[in-house]
Amino acid sequence: MVGLSEGEKEFIKGGIAQDLRSDGRKRYTYRPIYVETGVIPQANGSARVRLGATDVIASVKAELGKPSALQPDKGKVALFIDCSPTAEPTFEGRGGEELSAELSSALQRCLLGSKSGAGAGIDLSSLIVVEGKVCWDLYIDGLVISSDGNLLDALGAAIKAALSNTGIPTVHVVAGASNDEQPEVDISDEEFLHFDTSGVPVIVTLTKVGKHYIVDATSEEESQMSSAVSISINRQGHICGMTKRGGSGIDPSVILDMISVANFVSRQLIEKLDSEISAAEANEEDS
Amino acid sequence: MLKSNVFSKKTRNNKIKKEVREVYLRDDICCGVSSCTTCESPTASSATRLTASTILVVDTNVVLHQIDLLENPAIDDVVVLSVVLDEVKNKNLSVYNRIRALCSNSLRKFYVFANKFHKDTHVEKMEKESPNDLNDRAIRVATQWYQKHLGGATRVLLVTNDRENKRKATEEGIFAETIESYVKSLEQPDLLDLVVQPASVDVNMEDIEDSRPSKRKVIYAEHKPMSEITSGLRHGIYHQGKLRVNRYNPFEAYVGSESIGDEIIIYGRTNMNRAFDGDIVAVELLPQEQWHEEKSLSIADEEEEEEDVHLAPSSADDAPRSTTPVNAADQIPVPSRPSGRVVGIIKRNWHSYCGSLDPMPMPAGSGSIAYALFVSKDRRIPKIRIQTRQLGNLLNKRIVVTVDSWDRQSRYPFGHYVRVIGDIGDRDTESEMVLIENDIDARPFTAQVLACLPPLPWSVSSEDLANPIRIDLRQIRVFSVDPPGCKDIDDALHCTALPNGNYEVGVHIADVTNFVHPGSPLDDEASKRGTSVYLVERRIDMLPKPLTEDICSLRADVERLAFSVIWEMTPEAEIISTRFSKSVIKSCAALSYVEAQARMDDSRLMDPLTTDLRNMNSLAKVMRQRRIERGALTLASAEVKFQIDTETHDPLDIGMYQIREANQMVEEFMLAANVSVAAQILQIFPVCSLLRRHPSPTREMLEPLLLTAAAVGINLDVSSSKALADSLDRAVGDDPYFNKLIRILATRCMTQAVYFCSGDLSPPEFHHYGLAAPLYTHFTSPIRRYADVFVHRLLAASLGIFQLPTIFQDRPQLTSVADNLNYRHRNAQMASRASVELHTLIYFKKRPTDTEARIVKIRSNGFIVFVPKFGIEGPVYLTSKGQKGGGEWYVDEQQQKIIKMDSSLSYSVLQTLRIHMEVVEPQPNRPKLQLTLI
Amino acid sequence: MEFVSPEGLRLDGRRPTEMRQLRAEIGVVSKADGSAMFEMGNTKVIAAVYGPREVQNKGQQINNDHALVRCEYSMANFSTGDRVRKPKGDRRSIEISLVIRQTMEACIMTHLMPRSQIDIFVQVLQADGGTRSACINAATLALADAGIPMCDLVTSCSAGYLNSTPLLDLNYIEDSAGGADVTVGILPTLDKVTLLQMDAKLPTNIFEDVMQLATEGCKAIANYIREMLAENTKQLEFRRDS
Repeated sequence: MVGLSEGEKEFIKGGIAQDLRSDGRKRYTYRPIYVETGVIPQANGSARVRLGATDVIASVKAELGKPSALQPDKGKVALFIDCSPTAEPTFEGRGGEELSAELSSALQRCLLGSKSGAGAGIDLSSLIVVEGKVCWDLYIDGLVISSDGNLLDALGAAIKAALSNTGIPTVHVVAGASNDEQPEVDISDEEFLHFDTSGVPVIVTLTKVGKHYIVDATSEEESQMSSAVSISINRQGHICGMTKRGGSGIDPSVILDMISVANFVSRQLIEKLDSEISAAEANEEDS
Repeated sequence: MLKSNVFSKKTRNNKIKKEVREVYLRDDICCGVSSCTTCESPTASSATRLTASTILVVDTNVVLHQIDLLENPAIDDVVVLSVVLDEVKNKNLSVYNRIRALCSNSLRKFYVFANKFHKDTHVEKMEKESPNDLNDRAIRVATQWYQKHLGGATRVLLVTNDRENKRKATEEGIFAETIESYVKSLEQPDLLDLVVQPASVDVNMEDIEDSRPSKRKVIYAEHKPMSEITSGLRHGIYHQGKLRVNRYNPFEAYVGSESIGDEIIIYGRTNMNRAFDGDIVAVELLPQEQWHEEKSLSIADEEEEEEDVHLAPSSADDAPRSTTPVNAADQIPVPSRPSGRVVGIIKRNWHSYCGSLDPMPMPAGSGSIAYALFVSKDRRIPKIRIQTRQLGNLLNKRIVVTVDSWDRQSRYPFGHYVRVIGDIGDRDTESEMVLIENDIDARPFTAQVLACLPPLPWSVSSEDLANPIRIDLRQIRVFSVDPPGCKDIDDALHCTALPNGNYEVGVHIADVTNFVHPGSPLDDEASKRGTSVYLVERRIDMLPKPLTEDICSLRADVERLAFSVIWEMTPEAEIISTRFSKSVIKSCAALSYVEAQARMDDSRLMDPLTTDLRNMNSLAKVMRQRRIERGALTLASAEVKFQIDTETHDPLDIGMYQIREANQMVEEFMLAANVSVAAQILQIFPVCSLLRRHPSPTREMLEPLLLTAAAVGINLDVSSSKALADSLDRAVGDDPYFNKLIRILATRCMTQAVYFCSGDLSPPEFHHYGLAAPLYTHFTSPIRRYADVFVHRLLAASLGIFQLPTIFQDRPQLTSVADNLNYRHRNAQMASRASVELHTLIYFKKRPTDTEARIVKIRSNGFIVFVPKFGIEGPVYLTSKGQKGGGEWYVDEQQQKIIKMDSSLSYSVLQTLRIHMEVVEPQPNRPKLQLTLI
Repeated sequence: MEFVSPEGLRLDGRRPTEMRQLRAEIGVVSKADGSAMFEMGNTKVIAAVYGPREVQNKGQQINNDHALVRCEYSMANFSTGDRVRKPKGDRRSIEISLVIRQTMEACIMTHLMPRSQIDIFVQVLQADGGTRSACINAATLALADAGIPMCDLVTSCSAGYLNSTPLLDLNYIEDSAGGADVTVGILPTLDKVTLLQMDAKLPTNIFEDVMQLATEGCKAIANYIREMLAENTKQLEFRRDS
């Protein structure tokens, strides 16, 4: 809940119009981003991302499952987001559910591609153990601990970091089981499967306030938005997913403009994120 | 310092789970070396101190395989690393318990160093390092730490038989040796016999087996790898169970399988595929058409062993198993049981065995290494090959041997010598054999245990009398009735006529728990022993003598503490009320059964004590009658009694134990007390009571009895215990002994009653078949049975006068106590029987006897006879061993008869005949009792 | 199973009366009025305090003279070894929420803040035994960080009884061994017990020992928390001055 006076509202809007936001940033500048990996040792991979006062954790857990009949050569990925009431008292009880659902589906769309799994940021066929019988199911859980706007970008970054932090034990099938039954698997001696996460896109949310749009809006700025477009873009500059929030309509040409801005911003963001992730990984190994 | 230990684990439901455990690294773990000045630990005063100038660090393989050697006092100053302990625990629990015992033995210098938690010796898993390599590295790191820590003053030696580990250790500048070379350096040649030879170097062991050209022929099928077994078990192709070898035919074994709900029979050593009795094995069923042929085939390629004369079995647990009938190949197929073969061994049950070496000529040149075959006393165990440097010394000795390995190419397993017990045939040696074989601890009680005893002379104190939980029954006419010469009197009785015509009957049991406190060394020892063991010439007490024979024993004319069950009964023996209380009693007479009987029978005696006896006896008769009507079985066993020469301890006379009315009277009240106590404790503690149950025999178990009975024209109804009891009553033959014989045969078809924890089973399973009681426990003999001690505590707690020890809240521990009691109880019985068998042999050595015997089972080459007078049974051969079957005789399965081909002669089951009994020595120092037809 | 080796070491290398490593951080949720993270070994929780502020739902206010204290406990999906999607408001969470609320209410000077509301949210990030205690310790720190007047700190610690040995601060494996688990919460300065819970059974005399041990643990945690708060205050002072 953001309670703002008229003056404050004007200040925010005016600042954006003049490309000098209330915290001193320009319209297309992100807040400093901090990444910490391996924060949840019990998970196969995890990361905590802080973006200003926004603080989120993502974890990846892998479980053995059965591939779906339609996609016998691919593993499955499920994604859930939870909003902890620590972030916002209104999330208490079932209060956070709506936002959680919105974030989950937006992230799903932006990171995991279509229902068939096509266009996903990670190679789902690398999750297969025995075709049609055994595969890894990835459960991606996001938790919002503290919220100061731009949750989607932060969660996207956290999930990307968590995925690159993920190691799945290598398994092999125990010989002797007959063909028509569920094969039995055993863990190989402590070898891990790591994902290539270079294809995982980042999410850039452009929030329209007044005539202009900004990246990485704080919650105060978000309270003044008319609409927001989240675009997920990968290293190659391809758009992997998109979602628009907020009621008011946007001119199609503005959307195209937004995409090119997002494309530009994403390159910086990916670079920044990659260096943060590798720094965090190095840090984790040292400790 | 904090470290995390992360690993993946496969869970039972085929899930893979990541586990994260914290590891706290410490700097306060002491090295345990007395010369060390840097280590100071608060617990150092109690920790073992290593003193020698050389200390040993042992590798896991050394502990696992050389535990007998480590137990030898010649090896000392040993550091046992926690990583080694963990590995040993995972691989072999019994070795783990032994190494733990060594570490806690204050006389030995074995020190446990928790290397895992020491900041300088903790090792982290490196990438792609196998758990084995990690452990080896941890051992080397710890050894190196010791070397550095102690400086030059003490030599640190890593003892390992792992070639790779030794090589790496040497490279890293650690002194490392194999166990052989270390033992050699000690220059005690006898010790070398204890060293287990690694399986790869015993190629020349072939020499002993035979010198056929087909060297290293594969004899047994390969064991399947564990992963295949688990998946096979899951898919129902294999069946898991404990292998039990037939005590009377070591070529036949059974695997009780839950998955098919039946026992699988394994015929022959080939199918047993190197499994030992007690091993947990995986079995594959043979095709149904092989269920019969398999047997005749397999027996043919094994050497035939003769059956020995032994004590008549008293229950199904020690009776020969009913097998498919003899000559199965040319008989009508009886509905047969599934047979199978062992494909893998899931858990070995190897331990030490006692026996002797197969007689063999002395090899030339004494002191050189010789190979010999060891024959275990326990017939279920195959011969074991050992190598020794002291053959001449061992040939006529009883020795202990342990099994080390059994590979596919050798007919017999390899083992090594552990120690000598004594000369074969020597009575003390043989008695000790009996104890070792049955895992009975006959060592004197330790000082710590004895320290728990109250000071002597002990008498009832004024505090005891003033204690409000104790009622004063010293004025009551209490007396005891026991076998003559009984010193450990744990029960006494009283019976007072009440003014209303009813009787007050009391059963007073020695208040052992007043002296044996939970958790004390005395209690621990008693719990471990489980029961007193009665051998023919001696008794091994569960509790130290001062308690057994004095403080707890309810002797005449002294005040004693008791735990009493007091009923008010009508003259029809209906219980009106029951109460339980601790008490103080003063027995007025300790009678023997004979004395009590004589008093009751002597109609001139009208003294109060005799009146009490008669009243009790009439009550007991009513109770007994009622119990029988309920379906309690009057079973019979062929218990024998020796008269022992007090000087030489040799048996002087032998005879059946006579049961009098007085015995039955005491027994009846003990039963009633046990039943009352069982009801009381179960009511208050429904899930943690210790009860005793007797499972109903299955029809299959009763099959041999039915077959025998049918052959003599008697139809037994076994549908319930009541029906069986009734039909046993009707089974009367021409001679007076006939009924008893049938009862003896019935008894041996039943399993034994067992202790259990009430929380582990559901109430219908609590049933005691033999006594036809829904509930039963043991309360009346706390001096000689630990179960009763346990029940005393439960009863006291149920009355609110005693706090229930914590163990009662720990179900798994409670179950393990019950299991141990069953195990000890069973072993004690086995030991008693073995002792009687031993003395029977000694007795007949000087007295060849002709006597009457009854046929109890027909065999293809003769029959098994039972000798009622001496309670033994054994084979009588009609044809000599060489020409077995011979074609001269054939068996009529239906009639249970063996008939001569020309029909001139036949013997049928239960027939009476006269036999000659004599001790013969077919091989020197191997006497055996032989039965021949007159 | 052997939880204490004959050498007197637990599965994780601690001695029976040793606590796991404690770690705390104040002010982890910048948007909240007060917040703290508290770790006991691998158990990690975050507490955030919002308030005192206007009562949001007037219906909940029962007593006008005192502040309304509310608490919600939630567990992250990834907090346990087995991943389970936890529905909000299950029985266990409600019970723990209640326990924390009552425990904290006992030390907050609610009469100083009439007609206001204080929300305490605790979020379990990792559970490895002793989450209840960790939550209370984190809540104490968060309340202090929020500057809410309290009559004393509340600290909590658990102790159990396995292999006939009282053990301080059980981790998950020890906790699931089936032995008794006594959770104690104390007001360290006033020397009063505000929370006492136990499952399974213990004889009275042993219970005394176990509870004594847990109380010692609470005192040790109280010392640690005091140090943390003093350090935090120094930092604040330093920042104000510069």
